[in-house]
Amino acid sequence: MARSTSKDAQALLHSFRSAYAATPTNLKIIDLYVGFAVFTALIQIAYIAIVGSFPFNAFLSGLLSCIGTAVLAVCLRIQVNRENKEFKDLPPERAFADFVLCNLVLHLVIMNFLG
Amino acid sequence: MVGKAEPVNGSVKSGSNQSIPATMQSPLKKSDLIPNLSLKTLKLKTKQQELLIRVSILCLVYVLAFITRLFSVLRYESMIHEFDPYFNYRTTLFLTEKGFYEFWNWFDSESWYPLGRIIGGTLYPGLMVTAAIIYWLLRFLRFAIHIREVCVLTAPFFASNTTLVAYFFGKEVWDSGAGLVAAALIAICPGYISRSVAGSYDNEGVAIFALLLTFYLFVKAVNTGSLAWALASAFAYFYMVSAWGGYVFIINLIPLYVLVLLITGRYSMRLYVAYNSMYVLGMLLAMQIRFVGFQHVQSGEHMAAMGVFFLLQVFFFLDWVKHLLSDTKLFQAFLRITVTTAIGVGAIALGVGMASGYISPWTGRFYSLLDPTYAKDHIPIIASVSEHQPTAWSSFMFDFHILLFLFPAGLYFCFKRLSDATIFIVMYGLTSMYFAGVMVRLILVATPAVCLISAIAVSATIKNLTLVARAKSKVTQTGSVRGSSSSKGSSKASLDQSQPFQRNGAIALLLGAFYLLSKYATHCTWVTSEAYSSPSIVLAARGAHGNRVIFDDYREAYFWLRKNTPPDAKVMSWWDYGYQITAMGNRTVIVDNNTWNNTHIATVGRAMSSYEDEAYEIMRSLDVDYVLVVFGGVTGYSSDDINKFLWMVRIGGGVFPVIKEPDYLVNGEYRVDKGAAPKMLNCLMYKLSYYRFGELTTEYGKPPGYDRARGVEIGNKDIKLEYLEEAFTTSNWIVRIYKVKPPNNRWERTMFHIYLGTVLRYHFQAMFHS
Amino acid sequence: MPKLALFLILIHFLPFLCTSFSPENPSSRRVLVLLDDLALKSSHSVYFKSLQSRGFELDFKLADDPKIGLQRYGQYLYDGLILFCPTTERFGGSIDLAAILDFVDSGHDLIIAADNNASDLIREIATECGVDFDEDPAAMVIDHTSYAVSETEGDHTLIASDDFIKSNVLLGSEKIEAPVLFQGIGHSLSPANSLVLKVLSASPSAYSANPKSKLSSPPSLTGSAISLVSILQARNNARILISGSLVMFSNRFFRSGVQKAGTPTKHEKSGNEQFLTELSKWVFHERGHLKAVNIQHHKDGEADEPSMYRINDDLVYSVEIYEWSGRSWEPYVADDVQVQFYMMSPYVLKNLSTDKKGRYFTAFKVPDVYGVFQFKVEYQRLGYTSLSLSKQIPVRPYRHNEYERFIPAAYPYYGAAFSMMAGFFIFTAVHLYNK
Repeated sequence: MARSTSKDAQALLHSFRSAYAATPTNLKIIDLYVGFAVFTALIQIAYIAIVGSFPFNAFLSGLLSCIGTAVLAVCLRIQVNRENKEFKDLPPERAFADFVLCNLVLHLVIMNFLG
Repeated sequence: MVGKAEPVNGSVKSGSNQSIPATMQSPLKKSDLIPNLSLKTLKLKTKQQELLIRVSILCLVYVLAFITRLFSVLRYESMIHEFDPYFNYRTTLFLTEKGFYEFWNWFDSESWYPLGRIIGGTLYPGLMVTAAIIYWLLRFLRFAIHIREVCVLTAPFFASNTTLVAYFFGKEVWDSGAGLVAAALIAICPGYISRSVAGSYDNEGVAIFALLLTFYLFVKAVNTGSLAWALASAFAYFYMVSAWGGYVFIINLIPLYVLVLLITGRYSMRLYVAYNSMYVLGMLLAMQIRFVGFQHVQSGEHMAAMGVFFLLQVFFFLDWVKHLLSDTKLFQAFLRITVTTAIGVGAIALGVGMASGYISPWTGRFYSLLDPTYAKDHIPIIASVSEHQPTAWSSFMFDFHILLFLFPAGLYFCFKRLSDATIFIVMYGLTSMYFAGVMVRLILVATPAVCLISAIAVSATIKNLTLVARAKSKVTQTGSVRGSSSSKGSSKASLDQSQPFQRNGAIALLLGAFYLLSKYATHCTWVTSEAYSSPSIVLAARGAHGNRVIFDDYREAYFWLRKNTPPDAKVMSWWDYGYQITAMGNRTVIVDNNTWNNTHIATVGRAMSSYEDEAYEIMRSLDVDYVLVVFGGVTGYSSDDINKFLWMVRIGGGVFPVIKEPDYLVNGEYRVDKGAAPKMLNCLMYKLSYYRFGELTTEYGKPPGYDRARGVEIGNKDIKLEYLEEAFTTSNWIVRIYKVKPPNNRWERTMFHIYLGTVLRYHFQAMFHS
Repeated sequence: MPKLALFLILIHFLPFLCTSFSPENPSSRRVLVLLDDLALKSSHSVYFKSLQSRGFELDFKLADDPKIGLQRYGQYLYDGLILFCPTTERFGGSIDLAAILDFVDSGHDLIIAADNNASDLIREIATECGVDFDEDPAAMVIDHTSYAVSETEGDHTLIASDDFIKSNVLLGSEKIEAPVLFQGIGHSLSPANSLVLKVLSASPSAYSANPKSKLSSPPSLTGSAISLVSILQARNNARILISGSLVMFSNRFFRSGVQKAGTPTKHEKSGNEQFLTELSKWVFHERGHLKAVNIQHHKDGEADEPSMYRINDDLVYSVEIYEWSGRSWEPYVADDVQVQFYMMSPYVLKNLSTDKKGRYFTAFKVPDVYGVFQFKVEYQRLGYTSLSLSKQIPVRPYRHNEYERFIPAAYPYYGAAFSMMAGFFIFTAVHLYNK
């Protein structure tokens, strides 16, 4: 059972990598951005596990800024991805404008919440 | 389907019917038939006529919603009603006088003496900030209006805005015809009017607007998948959180809705975009309100939203992987692993969180919605509020009238045409109806759903009926009243082209439906006028000759307090009157309607239920200078303190076991006449209510001391007060104020003596009582 | 001429205004003395002269004089009252029990002397003051071991007592050497009242009974529970002296010698004069009268009194206490004056330090609890006026901008948030230019 799962996992990873290489560059940039945000979030969680949660609002604002950034970037990716049928008639400029607006709001609120 | 049906409905609502198949007839014939109609003379195209009709209907509905809430302003005066609005008014006054930062940091030392209350951190500021902004805006435009007028009229103004939102929501869910009907229905529905009349300056007035707005924007976001709409709905959610504690309903309904969509296989990218951005941005914004604080990540009531958030990520991830991988077998394996790990991790996290107490369980207020018997046993304060009792059928009928049977009809129509939006409205309707059944107060939350779903039924039925009625001929006259249209809810007319009676039947049904809706309008207006327009601080009754008698005793007493007591005097009364005393009498109170400290309230309850000397010790320890009681024996007013007294005993006894409820009852019966329990006849509340009442004749033919509210002659007529003296009794004896005497100059009772007196008294009582 | 007469008459009234009782000058000046019998004026002249020599104006009246009154048109005519009329059933004029109690409750002093055959009225006044005389009207205090030795074989109702209360404020700094002669009725203190004190108690072998008849049942008042002379200091600092014997104030007792039975010493002069004179000084506020003025509190470093404190503020509290010396206000010096910072229970309790010139001060930190607090000074020392000062002040929690601005432990979060913003800017640039 374990051998088949490890073989499955390897095959999985292989096909995954090959499929991923086929995605367009702009989507890959967005993915990189999302990865960066998630990575920062994980660092903060590790930090709070070590130190304790004293300025909880600062922790929440830091964490939520990372998660919010990730989520909004994923939404942008969905809307910009030309393969998604649901968003066929959404112009990418409009998607990007929405994205910028939401990020502005996100960062403003984070700044208020941080202190 | 949606777009094409509009003209038909629009025409029915207008009262003229010529706009639609205008291309089918020659203009001359039309103007011959109806010479007064000027629409055609303006030479408008169909679309523009239809728009004009829609806009004019909405304007009329807007004005109607505002006007129908003005009964009490016209009858009495422009004043704030009830109890809670006085606190809101006082805080709004503070906000306009001192500015936002003072308001945000306000520490009030005049209520809950001596504990004080951090008002800035324990209220929902949405209502106050809204009224203050309107006030500042009007001042900027050089309208010098007093803040009280703004406060009184805020609720009707927002009710009008709610009708607009209802229109757009109806349009989103079904079509614009349904939207118009929904706007009209919600404008006059008594369930909403009850909490939004002019003068009822309470959170629900703006909260229902915010609730409906949030739901509308969210449904719009799900329908379009646009980030902008999701952002708007996050802002609407923020407004809702700032306005009312009932936002918990939103933060649980929306995840439930998403879950239902996921289960029914309607997962889509639009849903992902809408929910995620709304959740993250909405949560961030909501945490800016001091009172809410970190509850979105720490309280059990908000965990559903977080759970669904993570679930959606899992769904999206799986979807993406499935899209990338071409091999389904691998994908199945992958799927199995991921799902099990995700569920496992989620369950462990939740379990750890709840077990360690980090995630707090559902608070009593909301838990009693799931388990209605919980409050009666554990939290008597929640159980004692009359608005928290379960709803009777008569209340439903009273508040909804015909909407009650249009609601199932609307559900049927929604199920016939399931889409993301209709699923939402169905869920909203069903959950809110359940909660409305648990607690009377929550009929308010159900009202928009009921109006919307009923509007769907009305609109769909009318469409079908008029299609039948217009199937062959051109002129179909349907008279209708401004703002209401006609339908017959229970009839589901089906088109049957072969029968010639179909058209007549349809017209008859339409007329019957019109009659029904006009009855609805009459009922709503009657209910508003009779039941929901009473300010409850001014009482009205019919005199012996049918003339109207006004009792303004409350304000008389508060004004007396304001003018005749030292500024730092402390007033003890039951918590119902706290806000009013602080706002109008401007004196420090011991407990008020916020009821945040149960022990403090129980102390007051204990003082009211004890004998005079024990109560005196308690009052001295709290630095009480005046005691205020409400007494309805002379006027027959039944919401007085003697009728609330058993709740004082229960709440006091919940914290101090020395107060036992059976001591005040006789065979389980609550009496105040000669057969009453001796502890009842000598407790402080009884003495203060009935002091000097034994000499008063209240009703012709009855002995002196006849209590008109209880309908009996009181048992203890010869009352002497040792530690208090009467300071003021209002003209109808409704409010009575007593002054606490300073301790005797030449005596200082030793503690032993007090203890001895208490022990002896309880011994005697036990001897005679058993 | 008439103008001059008018002027002289008006001048004549001026001293009355200057010498009346006032908070600035607490020693009473005008005292009404009600007597059963005007012969008391001469038989008790030493006592009265001691009062008059200290500046008191005594107005002697018969108790049933129909023209007597304590107040007229709402103003009190006298500052003190002496009732040397034990057998009076009813007072004349406008004086009655309620008037006397009102007189005391408005801050004036009272001396009552009862005797055997004390009337019900006098007994009732005493009961209202917390003192219960023996119910038997013919009872007197009898002591077979502490009586005063005399030539005639008496019934031992003349007793010599030296069981004084130990207080310099009450009885003066000089020790009273000779015992005090007493002949009269005894009383006990009401157990429900803690403001009344025994100044002169009977010895443990005393009892109260009718000396002329045989005892049929054990006496109700016995031993040291019997008080011969008591005082009461009311909450408003009115002082009342209650004595069970009128004859102990008389010249005869003042001048006679005394020898207590069972002791060898014979004193030339009894202690009555010293005892009663010192006690009258206390009753009329010449000793032990304090006033507290000028309560101030402010934040450390500022001078004005704020309307609200914040938690964890440092504040300074000061009060000035003076003692009346009989002629002027002297600074009061003590080390046991305490101030409480009180909200349903004292959160801070500190002794005030003094600069020996009457100013008491201390500094402390406001506790970490918000609410409405009171600065409470409850100073009750035997014989001194009770000081009950209380000043209310609210204490608020931190404002939103009074917390630490940048918390070092949160730097990673600040960094994360700012890096997110930077990432956003970079990403938008890259996204827009990457076509």
